[in-house]
Amino acid sequence: MLEIIDVHVSYGNDTVLNGVNLSLDTGERLAVVGESGTGKTTLGLSIMRLTEGKVEGAINLDGKDITRLSEKQMQQIRWNRVAMVFQNVNNVLNPVHTVIDQVCEPIVEHKLKRKGDALRKAGELLSYFGLAQNRFSSFPHQLSGGEQQRVLLAMALSNDPGLLILDEPLSSLDVTAREDLGLLLRQIDRKRAQLVITHDLDTASRLSDRIAVLYGGKIVETGPTQEVMQCPRHPYTRALVRAYPNMTTVKDLQGIKGRMTRPVSGCPFHPRCTQAIDICSRKMPPLAVEEGRGVACHRGGIITLLSTANLSKSFDLLKAVDAVSLNIQAGETLALVGQSGSGKTTLAKMIMGLYPPSEGSLFFDGKQIVSHGKDFYGRVQMIFQNPGESLSHRLSVLHSVMEPLEIQSKGDQKQRRSKAIQTIEEVELPPTDNFLNKYPHHLSGGEMQRVAIARALVLDPDLLIADEPTSFLDASVGAKILKLLLNLQEHRGLSLLYITHDIAAARKVSDRIAVMLDGRIIEVGPSNEIVSSPKQDYTSRLLSSASALSRTERL
Amino acid sequence: MHIDLKKELKQSNLGRTGMTILLLMIAVAILAPVLSQYDPTEQTAASLVSPSLSHWLGTNHVGQDIWSQLLYGARISLLVGFGVGTLSLILSIFFGLSSAIIGGLYGRVVMRVVDALIVIPMVIAVILVAAYIRPDVLVLIFLLSLLGWQSGARVIRAQALSLKESGHVKASATFGASRFYITRRHILPELTPILLVEFIYGVRRAVFIEAGLAFLGICDPMLISWGSMMRDAMRFTYLNVWQWWLVPAGIALSLTIIGLTFISHAAESVLDPRLRGEAVA
Repeated sequence: MLEIIDVHVSYGNDTVLNGVNLSLDTGERLAVVGESGTGKTTLGLSIMRLTEGKVEGAINLDGKDITRLSEKQMQQIRWNRVAMVFQNVNNVLNPVHTVIDQVCEPIVEHKLKRKGDALRKAGELLSYFGLAQNRFSSFPHQLSGGEQQRVLLAMALSNDPGLLILDEPLSSLDVTAREDLGLLLRQIDRKRAQLVITHDLDTASRLSDRIAVLYGGKIVETGPTQEVMQCPRHPYTRALVRAYPNMTTVKDLQGIKGRMTRPVSGCPFHPRCTQAIDICSRKMPPLAVEEGRGVACHRGGIITLLSTANLSKSFDLLKAVDAVSLNIQAGETLALVGQSGSGKTTLAKMIMGLYPPSEGSLFFDGKQIVSHGKDFYGRVQMIFQNPGESLSHRLSVLHSVMEPLEIQSKGDQKQRRSKAIQTIEEVELPPTDNFLNKYPHHLSGGEMQRVAIARALVLDPDLLIADEPTSFLDASVGAKILKLLLNLQEHRGLSLLYITHDIAAARKVSDRIAVMLDGRIIEVGPSNEIVSSPKQDYTSRLLSSASALSRTERL
Repeated sequence: MHIDLKKELKQSNLGRTGMTILLLMIAVAILAPVLSQYDPTEQTAASLVSPSLSHWLGTNHVGQDIWSQLLYGARISLLVGFGVGTLSLILSIFFGLSSAIIGGLYGRVVMRVVDALIVIPMVIAVILVAAYIRPDVLVLIFLLSLLGWQSGARVIRAQALSLKESGHVKASATFGASRFYITRRHILPELTPILLVEFIYGVRRAVFIEAGLAFLGICDPMLISWGSMMRDAMRFTYLNVWQWWLVPAGIALSLTIIGLTFISHAAESVLDPRLRGEAVA
């Protein structure tokens, strides 16, 4: 029904849409999501041919390219075949007419109905959207935002358009009204297609079956809405999900580093992307569709950074780690949760090459790691449980942080020094001479752990393994350390393997949780699923014995 | 545990006393030609002269000046002591560290060799060997070092093994550090206090054994050593020469050994918290 082929829209020199391809069939509901400024509204306006920008490419509606129609022909189509609910309600309704008149207007104007029929039809529509009868003759300023939104929806549907474009239809509503209106919109008969334009993932998940994620005027990911939300494949989509407060995910909110800039050569997201490589800044990746999911990324979406295959470690008769297969994706936090003695640290040490595995193999960035060399350690780093032990008492703060650079022979002494100081600042420690010359026994536990983190970060690793990084710290300091790790993840795109016995902390910082018991991974999945509906008894036990502030619900 | 060894040694009375004695001995050894006008090997007066202004401690049975023999004797004592201390420490470090760091079969073989060597009673072995080859100073140093490094190697190995498992060494390995780097930058510096103690032990033992061998006459007879002085003096105990011949040599030897003992004891008490306080007081 609607087919958008390689559409470019520009205002002057500013290209807002940059080669968008979309198609929409009758009965389908598609959401276009993206943060503000990505060109969502421009897309809607282009379909209505209401944009002031220059439109290139083809927009086929019922097989006709509307970009080639005359304004007169377009008027026939507008409101009849395609209608749009505009975003900014306050400016859309005419303040001098009653709302029912305004709903009637398109019906009468397109000469489809006599005035009486038109009024009846308008009344039906308004009632359908839940506007009380005694409000029909009100003026727009007498209505609340929610009521105005209902009027707009009724207006858009007044001429029974085949395609309904909804631009932020629920954003001016409170949550209960959203729920109502969302249901109503979902129940609109399946004869029309709906295109929902929103920055709001909740709206998208309520109102759409398919989703297209727009960034910088390009579509970066498409797919069935629920699948995309549950397991996003493009780094941008994941960042969007992480930034969105909701009841599904349990991890702390995270922003997206940097801000949107235009124009950008290559992939529009690459300056903010956490896994960008060379080619990303030169070439726009095409949208590759596979089994209903499309991703536009040179790296095929979020990559798997580290994976273990049947990794095992035996100490004489004890099987400390038993055939563990795990994947860690770029930029995600995987929490490894289990009681002490379950083999968590042994697994971490095997990954770091401190223990040779008895069996199994380890892959990093697609390559098998046979012997751990400097390359590997340049990209995977670990922070240990006890910072007091992992820092040498003979090295000052500065020298501790410089040590990895020295070992990897990066730069000269001066460059190492400035890199170390920069990293020390990044972990929110003071870069003063006084502090840099301190020794570990002059520092508090929290400061020591920060120094240890700085030391691990100074090589700019892609993966950081944090083995109970807060267990030696009191809660407030520990919270700051976890916050710091999340911020670093946001800014650097760091992947974290967070090892803990504390599932309460794990759910706050992790995207996925793997539960370990007696050397085996017994359950792995998105944190929210593990926390809300654990499949294993042991996981339930972990959850019920986790820290809580109120005990009543347990009785 | 962070220890500033230098500071701790300076603060301990024993440490200060020991250092003073040792420094005094070293000064005497170096300044021997200045402190005495006679060549210790030269016959400068009649034999067995009593102390006088020209010969402060008189002369021995062949008319050599005892005072200058005493001064030059410090040279031999300290030369052998420090020579053996250094060489056996190097051997201890090499075998102790390598067996700890490389480990595996090599480490086990080294440690069995150490076990085997440790059984040999050092003094008897040295006497037997020395009786055959009549060693000069250099050979003596080698001989004593070869027979004296094993226990040091054991101690160093044990410490290195525990250090190898410590957090910051593991951390260093996760930055890609080689075993050599870890040994050089982390393990060896951490071992400094223990190395010092081992070194002083080695020196003390060597000084003692050198004097013993000289006393028994199993060494180069031309060497002027406190041990050989005492041996010669013992032959004349029926005269009263022992007062300025035997006693001063004995005192010099004892002082040196006491000084070294004080230092090692002070260093040990710094290292071992159980000895703290008790020894420093």
